[in-house]
Amino acid sequence: MIQTGPLFLRVVAIEPLSPRLKRITLQSAEGGLLPLSQPGAHLTLTLPGPGRGHRNAYSIVSPCDRRDHYQLIIRRAPASRGGSRHVHEVMAVGDVLEAAAPNSQFSIQSQTRKHLMIAGGVGLTPMLSLTSALRARGAHIELHQIAHVDEVAVFEALLAGERNVHIHTGRAKLDLTNLLARQPLGTHLYCCGPQAMMEAARDAAVALGWPETSLHQESFGAAGGAPFILRLARSGLEIAVGEHDTMLEAIEAAGVAAPSLCRGGACGVCLTSVIEGAPEHRDHVLSEAERAEGRKVLPCVSRSTTPYLVLDL
Amino acid sequence: MPKREGGMSDHVIKSMPVYAPIRLDRSGRRHLLLADDVAALPTGLAADLSPDAFDERWLVVRQSQAIPSPDEHARDRPYRSDAHVLQALKWRLTSETMGLRLYAIGKEAFVWSVWNVALSFGLGGREVQLCASPAGPRRVYCNHCRTINEAATTNIVVCAGCRAPLYVRDHFSRRLNAYAGVQVDAEAPGEVPPIEVLYP
Amino acid sequence: MPITHKADESFRAPFRYANSDAAILRFPFPFPDDRYMYSVNLEPHVRGGPTEAFAAAFDIDEHYISECRERAMVLRQDPNRCLVLPHMMAAQWDTLELLMESLAQDYPEHFSLERAGERWTWTNRLLGLQDRFVFGDEHSLPQAPFEYITRQVQGDFTLQDQRDGTLYMDGGMVTTPADWSLEFDLGMTFHEWHGPVPVAHDIGVFDRALQYLLRLQHGRPVRRLNWTMTVNPRLDTSPENYPIWGPDKATVTPLNVGDKLHLRVELQTLYRLPRSNAILFGIRAYLASLSELARAPKWGRRLHRVLRDLHPDLVAYKGFSRYHQTAIDFLAAFDDGAPTSAGIGPDTDRLKA
Repeated sequence: MIQTGPLFLRVVAIEPLSPRLKRITLQSAEGGLLPLSQPGAHLTLTLPGPGRGHRNAYSIVSPCDRRDHYQLIIRRAPASRGGSRHVHEVMAVGDVLEAAAPNSQFSIQSQTRKHLMIAGGVGLTPMLSLTSALRARGAHIELHQIAHVDEVAVFEALLAGERNVHIHTGRAKLDLTNLLARQPLGTHLYCCGPQAMMEAARDAAVALGWPETSLHQESFGAAGGAPFILRLARSGLEIAVGEHDTMLEAIEAAGVAAPSLCRGGACGVCLTSVIEGAPEHRDHVLSEAERAEGRKVLPCVSRSTTPYLVLDL
Repeated sequence: MPKREGGMSDHVIKSMPVYAPIRLDRSGRRHLLLADDVAALPTGLAADLSPDAFDERWLVVRQSQAIPSPDEHARDRPYRSDAHVLQALKWRLTSETMGLRLYAIGKEAFVWSVWNVALSFGLGGREVQLCASPAGPRRVYCNHCRTINEAATTNIVVCAGCRAPLYVRDHFSRRLNAYAGVQVDAEAPGEVPPIEVLYP
Repeated sequence: MPITHKADESFRAPFRYANSDAAILRFPFPFPDDRYMYSVNLEPHVRGGPTEAFAAAFDIDEHYISECRERAMVLRQDPNRCLVLPHMMAAQWDTLELLMESLAQDYPEHFSLERAGERWTWTNRLLGLQDRFVFGDEHSLPQAPFEYITRQVQGDFTLQDQRDGTLYMDGGMVTTPADWSLEFDLGMTFHEWHGPVPVAHDIGVFDRALQYLLRLQHGRPVRRLNWTMTVNPRLDTSPENYPIWGPDKATVTPLNVGDKLHLRVELQTLYRLPRSNAILFGIRAYLASLSELARAPKWGRRLHRVLRDLHPDLVAYKGFSRYHQTAIDFLAAFDDGAPTSAGIGPDTDRLKA
């Protein structure tokens, strides 16, 4: 499958699950099948808002083999001025939204003898597609859900189809050390929830001798960053690089033909000189010394730590 | 390694295992050391690392009366052969929990046998450390007939299966626990370079 | 453009193979410059590129029927050329779905895929077959899914499992290898199976390529070109059969080099697979003789220069020490020193006689 362009999805159902949780069902706005999702995948929705809107990533909770719809569960973030407020207060059945094709940074680890999942609150969402895929393969799963006492019933309902599920009302109720110390060789840990919870789980596992390669966290990828202004010294152009644009995309959108090839920070073709400003390096080409020196940058993936960056383009 | 006729050779090849003396991985909780020969320990362990640093030491002693203690807390266990210790390792790994680090010192074929058992019982590459000591004969997999030729001490070995004179490459398969062997005179039949003994 | 699929070519002695003019003009010539060195030359794989060989997700050309027959012969002689480790079953189904969907989309005149829930019907008019099966049930197909579908596509494929921060080659259909063994390399990591390649490790090519591939996304495949040379239009240049094809290398003479020596180009594609999170690596091989390629003046000039100036370690590793000079001498006649354009296209739509 070669995905060209964004998806257009129509909201066909909005179900309140609790005062702060809603489940949304989306189908293709053009009719027909949606691209196949993947276990642990998320959808990046563009929700209406100022400028180019809010781009938020939400885990797909429906089984990934379903190509007729995607389902998301979205929590109303406290004091949200962004996407979740729109979902909870404005979104209506029939709305059409733009989305990027499903992407997964949180996948099933193969050759694993046991999949241990720890989810905090709405951090359960990426686990749901993982568990449905794993169940179909007859894998060994154990899932621990930390839920606010008000929402226990909601999570019990969401997890009704799973065996080996334990729901804890609050983080203190889950004895991480005890749980992690008794896992057999070949167990992998999947974690999603509040940052503090994920760090606590990770720290406990490392203290018990789990290798890093056995620990997995849902981070939804690390693309994008703070917006900044790019100045191209040779063409004299000033370009705004938005939080979801790459430098290369912004340069191309301004009509400047910059050389590029892999567009993933690996081939070095887009390498450019930095005249002013301090780049934020995200590539795999520059050496430590070159990164520290800050005179070169790969615009296809890297960004800026300073509000202005001047390139020799 | 001398170049074989036809221009193919293995310059310093990245798939050839390179060993360093074992260091204790302090991120682990329990440390289990296997060795196929007590004489291999001094060179197999880093200079500042004593066998006492390991929670358990399993040693192949090659005696038929040897028997590991029934006491579950015994730290030193003797085994009769490679096969004997590998069998014990399988049972042990079945009931082990996360946090174990496994170390193996000995002949190359032995340490990779330990590796393959470890992987099949759920350990990953970060949890196992190997040191083949000393450099020794090679198991050679004939690419043409799939026969494994044990204990090759020379750079060219005649395949016991199909009789091809095989150049012993540095390309190593951990899964097969063997080096690749390819017919050395395939391009010019009969032109076999001088045979050199590499591992006396 | 309708093409004639040749059904009776032979990629083993006695050889019967030639490229039509159209096939030569669409050839994925691998050299964008007059000098060649290893690089991370990955780029997004889209439908379209410098020649027609890049137009489809998986390219089918005039040699399709003959190559499928050749694959079937290799497998009858050596079934272990298709091996998949047991934990890769989800990747097998991912591969079957990807290849069937792509072929049906790009070549609707040759392939059809009908789906009624899990009941699929696959029609391959070029090979004259139709199979109904249940997606997910391997017993409803004549072979395991990966073998089943790769028997109907040109080029080799490997399945790479992503775990422990690297890629493991845990399966493959490899009947047209450029001298590497699936059976030996099965289970190796990315750095291990590239172990024998000279120079590239030292310039960091594999470290960077691996980091890039670990982030490969579903729906955004990438591609690159790789190349070597083969004596005779032989596809199965496997280590397994080296005793059979090795002697070919000494048969190249100044009189026959133009027709006997073939440039072998691999159009490699890498797709992230959805259910398994594995990577499908397609290695699509193209063969054209030096004489065929020299009919495009730009290619004759460039090929001469690239071979003449090639790093000696690459000459040795790619295995053409025996006939390297003979090839250079033959191609010199096509190189008048004129400048050649950047990029791989032939710069002509008509070949010299």
